[in-house]
Amino acid sequence: MTTDITRITPRAPRLPVSVLLAGLSLGFYIIIALSTGETAQLSPSGILGLFQRMVALGLVAIGQTFVILVGSIDLSVAALISAVAVLASHVMQGDPTMMLPAIVLCLGLCLMVGLINGALVAYGGINPLIATLGTGLVIQGVLAASFGMLQGAVAREFQVLAYGGLLGVPYSLVLLAALSLAAAFVLDRTLFGARIYAVGGNPDGARLAGIRTEQVILSAHVVASLFAGASGLYLAARLQSGTPWIGRDGIYDLESIAVTVIGGTILAGGKGGVAGTLAGVLLFASLDAGFNMLGIDAFLKQVLRGAIVIAAVAVHAVRTKGHVA
Amino acid sequence: MTVEPALAMTGIRKAFPGVRALDAVDFECLPGEVHAICGENGAGKSTLMKILGGSYRPDAGEIRLAGRAVHFTHPRQAAEAGIAIIHQELSLLPHRTVAENIFMGREIAKRGMLDKAAMRDRAAGLLARVGADVDPQTLVSSLSIAVQQLVEIAKALLLDARILVMDEPTAALDERDSRTLLNLVRILRGEGVSIVYISHRMPEVTAIADRITVLKDGRRIWTRRTGEAPVGEIVRAMVGRDLKDFYPAPPSSAPGPVLLAVEEGANAYMRDIAFEVRTGEIVGVAGLEDSGKAALAQALVGDAPLTSGTVFLRGQPLALRTPRQATAAGIGYLPGDRKGEGLALRQSVRDNALLALRAIAGLFTRPEHGRLAPDAIDEKLRAMDVRAADFGQEIGTLSGGNQQKAIIARWLAQESDVLVFVEPTRGIDIAAKAAIYETMRRFADLGRGIVVVSSDMPELIGIADRIVVMHRGRMAGTVPRGAQEEDVMHLALGTSGAPEKEESP
Amino acid sequence: MTTAPQASALPRRPARIALNAGLVIFVVLYAAIAFIQPNYLEPGLFMNFLRRAAPLVILACGQLYVILTGGFDLSMGAVATLVVLAASILINGDPETTWAVIGALYVMGIAVGLVNGLVVAFLKVPSIIATLGAMLSVNGLALAWSGGAARGDLPENFRNLGRLVLRDVPFVGTLPLAVIVLLGFVAIAWWGLNGTVYGKRALVVGDNPRAAELAGTPVAATRILAFVVSAVSAVTAGILLGGFSGVSVNAGEGLELQAIAACVIGGAQLLGGRGSVWSAVFGALSLFALFTLLNLLGLPQALRDSIQGAILIAAVGATVWRGRRRA
Repeated sequence: MTTDITRITPRAPRLPVSVLLAGLSLGFYIIIALSTGETAQLSPSGILGLFQRMVALGLVAIGQTFVILVGSIDLSVAALISAVAVLASHVMQGDPTMMLPAIVLCLGLCLMVGLINGALVAYGGINPLIATLGTGLVIQGVLAASFGMLQGAVAREFQVLAYGGLLGVPYSLVLLAALSLAAAFVLDRTLFGARIYAVGGNPDGARLAGIRTEQVILSAHVVASLFAGASGLYLAARLQSGTPWIGRDGIYDLESIAVTVIGGTILAGGKGGVAGTLAGVLLFASLDAGFNMLGIDAFLKQVLRGAIVIAAVAVHAVRTKGHVA
Repeated sequence: MTVEPALAMTGIRKAFPGVRALDAVDFECLPGEVHAICGENGAGKSTLMKILGGSYRPDAGEIRLAGRAVHFTHPRQAAEAGIAIIHQELSLLPHRTVAENIFMGREIAKRGMLDKAAMRDRAAGLLARVGADVDPQTLVSSLSIAVQQLVEIAKALLLDARILVMDEPTAALDERDSRTLLNLVRILRGEGVSIVYISHRMPEVTAIADRITVLKDGRRIWTRRTGEAPVGEIVRAMVGRDLKDFYPAPPSSAPGPVLLAVEEGANAYMRDIAFEVRTGEIVGVAGLEDSGKAALAQALVGDAPLTSGTVFLRGQPLALRTPRQATAAGIGYLPGDRKGEGLALRQSVRDNALLALRAIAGLFTRPEHGRLAPDAIDEKLRAMDVRAADFGQEIGTLSGGNQQKAIIARWLAQESDVLVFVEPTRGIDIAAKAAIYETMRRFADLGRGIVVVSSDMPELIGIADRIVVMHRGRMAGTVPRGAQEEDVMHLALGTSGAPEKEESP
Repeated sequence: MTTAPQASALPRRPARIALNAGLVIFVVLYAAIAFIQPNYLEPGLFMNFLRRAAPLVILACGQLYVILTGGFDLSMGAVATLVVLAASILINGDPETTWAVIGALYVMGIAVGLVNGLVVAFLKVPSIIATLGAMLSVNGLALAWSGGAARGDLPENFRNLGRLVLRDVPFVGTLPLAVIVLLGFVAIAWWGLNGTVYGKRALVVGDNPRAAELAGTPVAATRILAFVVSAVSAVTAGILLGGFSGVSVNAGEGLELQAIAACVIGGAQLLGGRGSVWSAVFGALSLFALFTLLNLLGLPQALRDSIQGAILIAAVGATVWRGRRRA
């Protein structure tokens, strides 16, 4: 224990970050829609469209939240998304009977990648940035090199995942909602969730409390990879066939980290949650939609997005005492 | 008496590279007994407890619990065997609630699902048992260190441990909380729990312990019943010599003119600070953990600046808003948390000693020339008697004493006028301690000044020419050289004059 | 405690290029190249190798500054792209303006570096996020400015910086201008870390910013300067890239990760506190030699990434392994 001064900060009751951020995002969206006269965007289908923009990034980001909470990080998700999308379309070749085998195979691949990432980080002691950057590069290279042999398209029936719906609600949104709730439930109500917070918050303390920290880190990496896989499957359904660059072009690795941090999860681990992350994803989706309505060109959009990432994180970070590198 | 000891450790040995931490140590604790371990820092107490807790594996020796031999390879196994350790360094999760912390690693769960209500209820019960008046739903980061300590104990109680190890449990507690804690220890003893109690506070040890074991340099000196071990004997056994020649002789001449002065200093942690250091003087600062003594040190080095009041150095007012200004003005800081705040562990001994000079030099100063030359700094390091195979080796590999000496060399090289030490000998073995006291004295005798903030009372009394005592952010009084520990404690506790009187905050 | 002989008896170490991990890897890889294509041992081809490796080496040197202080700079690839696109737009075919434009490019780069540094040092945004934001913004800016397509051409005098080869130079035969730029940049980067107190400050800031601060080190300034150096390296590399391959909207894509990988392969430690210019130089040369080797072996270009990833993990894994064995 250091001789730091103990201080009791009286905590004013504050709105959770997630609610605040979601409110801001929707407010921005509504104001833009009204001011540009695009009121159609405010109809139920317009709003559903907004939410649907969240699916791909949302799924990866939930997984990313798990690894960041446990004090690690995953840069391999973008490559894995591409790999899954390519693999799914290659295995299916438009044949609906191959849907299940393709999904199983893809999730199997994710499981493997997650185990490798987790093993390198938890047991190999390799810095997670390097370990997952490395595995991501390996996947990316293999994918790009063998893409010529891996072409194909998903089954039309599989595309229902992206384009079909139930009572007007797209299946993809149902999937995102279900997986979000499941993830939130796991983090909040299960033993595994409690262990994740413990390991991320104080690895030494967790070890002394008898938690097998390596296993927890490994499991979190598996979760992250599986969520990336779900995102890859969704993208394959949406685009009909995967290319080795959809993950990289979407910058899903860095954007998933950005929305997680924007949502209040700290990079050091141990604090944060799925709700904040989803609010961060909603922010990105609203900005995208808003910029579209405003007719801002794609490149300027990117400029603003970069600035907003920094600003949104700075809002939490600027109060940090001590140093940040 | 043939009671089977709840815990028996025999012939425990443990060596680390270059250090024999434990050498054939025997230790036992009966059911319903409080067995205190006394020893200087580095005597092997922590290592022994880490072995008991399953963090380290012994090189040799045997551990028996109620007669059954055990081998731990992971802390979990020790916990499952009924051993709970309350560590000196808190292992709490700041962003989680009290209940979640108490149940860390031992959550109540059915098929993987947490039973939060049950945990809240049990947490509330445990908190009541340790006398902590907190809602289990409170975030730990909003609690004071003292309450966090109680949460840590509640965590150990949860296990229904048969053996409870308390490592300096009262270090951060004030008088009232300490008393609550000691009562708690008595209750637990009455319930048949074996308690291993580690503390530097002698009055506490003699009040609570049934038996006392003294460790020194990794060896057990003796184990005696408390009644047969007067405090003087314990200290002599711990230190291995009389304390009189342990501290340097007081200076022959009276201190000179005022070197550093604070007038009407105040910030969020303290107020009404009027403080001065004269040339040739070593001023001690005593007080309880949150008395503001650490804040005073931080203010003097610009780390947590004063928000009102003035600091004078040699009569000139001094802007002291950042550590950089302090360094430039000639005030050097030797923080208590050496590893966290004092050293760049992966850099060489030389680099660490050059840290202040390089920090202040102009950006385009050529390194390795003039005062920055390796020869120049090596000379300072040798003058400080820093022992290292090569001053180019990483400072993390040196012992605590040599690390501290290297930091002193850093400020000598910078030609600082005032050094501010916090816990100067924490984690430093006895021989090096004497050398550091000697250096401090020599530094002061050169016409410079020293401020020493310490919670080690004998140290302050031994080294300081004058001790300023802090209490609740104010200066409660000053005692001269030769004062008794009780005088200081009364001021620190705010009980001088009117004992037992509760002061309103 | 070790009470070994005092340090004075030890000889002063010579300049420490000695046994840099990156150097070893580079020599091995280059030997393999020469084994397949013996003419790579000729000065001309070696010079050409250096010329093509120059941008990566320069980027790695800049990235190293940031890595030493404990951060990352993900924006350097985007800055390089911006440089290439901005140069073609600003020069607009008029060779007269080349030097003025190069000046303007450096000003732009320094501005990006300053923003990165200020955001990290004062807004406390972790550098991985701060420079990611900068990467998005700068990339967007470059594309918005150019309309998303490569426009215009770079004049000869600009492209010469990357392309021109001086002939009949004594000893080496041919000497590409890019190699001179490379040597100049490495020399300056070396001087910054070894000829001033900056390098040692950066190492301490990366190792323990709190200790550095308490001893009086200007931590924020040290951090900010590192990002500026990194951005300057990106501008320099961008200018060379423009010379090699002309205007392209993805001129700098992925270079930031290659630069980080290079530093790590050369032995610099992520999150700070360890590394030297030689880590960056030999790490980058190793990486580039690896790419060349894969080309010669006829492996698909795409597998580059895979091999790079595997090497990265192996290099760091080896360090961790050695550390554990020592402990």
